[in-house]
Amino acid sequence: MNLLVTGANGFLGRHVVAEALRRGHSVRAVVRSAGDVPRNGWRPGANFSFVQADLRRRKGLSDAVAGVDAVLHLAAAKAGDMYAQYGGTVVATENLLAAMSEARVRRIVAISSLSVYDYLKMRSFSVLTESSPLETDAFDRDEYAHTKLVQERLVRDHATQEGWNFVILRPGVIYGKDNLWTARLGIRGGKVWLRTGAWAKLPLAYVENCAEAIVTAAERAGEVSVKGNVFNLIDDKPPTQRQYARQLQRRMSPRPIIVPVAWTVMRSLARMAVLTNKLLLGGRAKVPGIFIPARLHARCKPLRFDNARIKQSLGWSPRYSLEEALDRSFAVEADGGAAGAGEACSAAQDPARPDMIKGAA
Amino acid sequence: MSTLLDEHSRPAVPRRQPLRAAVIGTGKISEEHLRFLSRDSRVELAAVCDLSPSLAKYAATRFKAAAAFSDSVRMLQEARPDVVHVLTPPHTHWALVSDALNAGAHVVVEKPVAPTNAKFRELWKLAEERGRRIVEDHNYRFNEPILAIEELVAAGELGDVREVDVRMALPIRKAGGRYADENLPHPSHNLPAGVIHEFITHLCYLALRFLPAGEMWRVAAAWSKHGAEALFKYDDLDALVISGPVHARIRFTSHCGPDCFAVTVRGTRGWAETDLFQPHLRVVVPRKGGQQLSPLLNHLLNGANLMGASVRGFRNKVMQKTPYEGLRTFLDQTYAALCEDKPPPVTYDDMDRASRLVDALLEDGSRV
Repeated sequence: MNLLVTGANGFLGRHVVAEALRRGHSVRAVVRSAGDVPRNGWRPGANFSFVQADLRRRKGLSDAVAGVDAVLHLAAAKAGDMYAQYGGTVVATENLLAAMSEARVRRIVAISSLSVYDYLKMRSFSVLTESSPLETDAFDRDEYAHTKLVQERLVRDHATQEGWNFVILRPGVIYGKDNLWTARLGIRGGKVWLRTGAWAKLPLAYVENCAEAIVTAAERAGEVSVKGNVFNLIDDKPPTQRQYARQLQRRMSPRPIIVPVAWTVMRSLARMAVLTNKLLLGGRAKVPGIFIPARLHARCKPLRFDNARIKQSLGWSPRYSLEEALDRSFAVEADGGAAGAGEACSAAQDPARPDMIKGAA
Repeated sequence: MSTLLDEHSRPAVPRRQPLRAAVIGTGKISEEHLRFLSRDSRVELAAVCDLSPSLAKYAATRFKAAAAFSDSVRMLQEARPDVVHVLTPPHTHWALVSDALNAGAHVVVEKPVAPTNAKFRELWKLAEERGRRIVEDHNYRFNEPILAIEELVAAGELGDVREVDVRMALPIRKAGGRYADENLPHPSHNLPAGVIHEFITHLCYLALRFLPAGEMWRVAAAWSKHGAEALFKYDDLDALVISGPVHARIRFTSHCGPDCFAVTVRGTRGWAETDLFQPHLRVVVPRKGGQQLSPLLNHLLNGANLMGASVRGFRNKVMQKTPYEGLRTFLDQTYAALCEDKPPPVTYDDMDRASRLVDALLEDGSRV
């Protein structure tokens, strides 16, 4: 297949490009800067090309999209205020969909997020599935969840109206080399981690497993059991916060100090913050995100996760276990990288250093 | 968007209340306008419009606007607003303001209303012909510290004004920032003063508040680009404006930190200063203790004021009060004026002088 990958230069995008090439597909990578191409070790050739475009700008996108069989839409803004994230996620998707219509491209795999669910409405220790309630009042939640919900709606409405084959994937916490920390663990200082909770399961999705699922979805998006569906993308046997934090701690040097704060304590603090704001400050005060109940529950609520639907419908099964994924993430690589090299992609990565934990996975 | 509408048959001044307001452009600054419009009893938020349907819908939902549009001409035809807020990038202002005037609406427009004084005067003429108002947002004029300095000047506390310093420091060249994005260059890079044109109106109208009206200016302006970024036309302005006996320095820099928007007014008796980004007011004038004790009293009083300002600053931070506090006052007074058919707080003369000063700063003959 000829695949267009948006957000190709991102953490997940680089692995998706590598996986698609490994499976023999032709890849056209959308990058914002031409400098991203040599930086990733990509060499344009028979199976790999790139197009420099910013999805926030409509002009020229149809040409970029023309001739591909499917679009893997990974591009999104993960930081900035609501307007920056609207631009990078929602406006970008509006432009991409319009360009696809013009270019008559009729298949899309859109990458959303588990953040779109309404965690406040879920009971502790209940199972989160694709049928769980979606966030309805995302204004109180956060920009990322809000824009991802809008993005999903855009893709679903547009693709349905145009009769396209589409799949929406909602990955959990995507982790891998250089992206091992997650805000679902708590608050990270330099040497001290404040772990907010212990028993909550972490819906992890190792980046290489994730890339395999995404490319599989593109390949099978025309099948009855796949097209028009939404799948949560989570690895098998999610660890608890405590287990994952210990795994990271064990592999790091120097080892961080983990200070546990119980979920009930966090929940009580958030309730007090809300009450104080409401009663004393008219509800107008800016409260730190961790004390906003909708955000706290989304990050730390003890839930269980299920990946039966994606495994059954897509025939995908995560290749790497948590242990193997962490071994790969921390390994000092000499063979050109964990992502696997395609014809045009060496996927060479810097040797992992034990102190390399950055970004919010 | 530039299609002029044939809607001249409406009454010269809409007196109905609430006034039907519409917003074109639902980016960051629209939040401040929409917050006011959604709460003020004199206003009915009739519509919002943005090229992005999703962004328009977001603004409409969040601020409870009656309708969302992605085509401004259609919005003017269907929503029939009495007042249109034009909050889009500056290069689009002229066409959108013209459309709104031709559709019979008053216009509140973000600065700069037009890229040059000549283009502003075209809009002014059109507004007069249509019997409508254009009001440019000069929001910082209405921030409390500026109003306090104006009161000090009016009360003669500072004596006759002799010097004005308006200084803004902003990291517009910061990598990853909206103005330094090479993948999606900000439209203001194409304005006559480049990105600085986004801010220059603020600097000019504040300086003009303390310059004598009607006097001619002598202007020397050093427009510089000290950074290496190809995207920027200029990243620094250092200008001197002399009007009668008053000297004004207008300064914009992207090379000094931290962010500031400082205004200092010096008179024959004393001086006052503020920073609108970290609001405080420092006033140095002769005190009742006489020449010997005045310095000490000034220190004590200003020290106490700074302590109070730090507490207010913390409160403002928690309560999400931003440097846009003056915008609410500006809009409140503007809507009061529109409802009562009185001159708005920012007059055509204010707008004309500000845009003439911007032109003067950019003139070849003024360059240093």
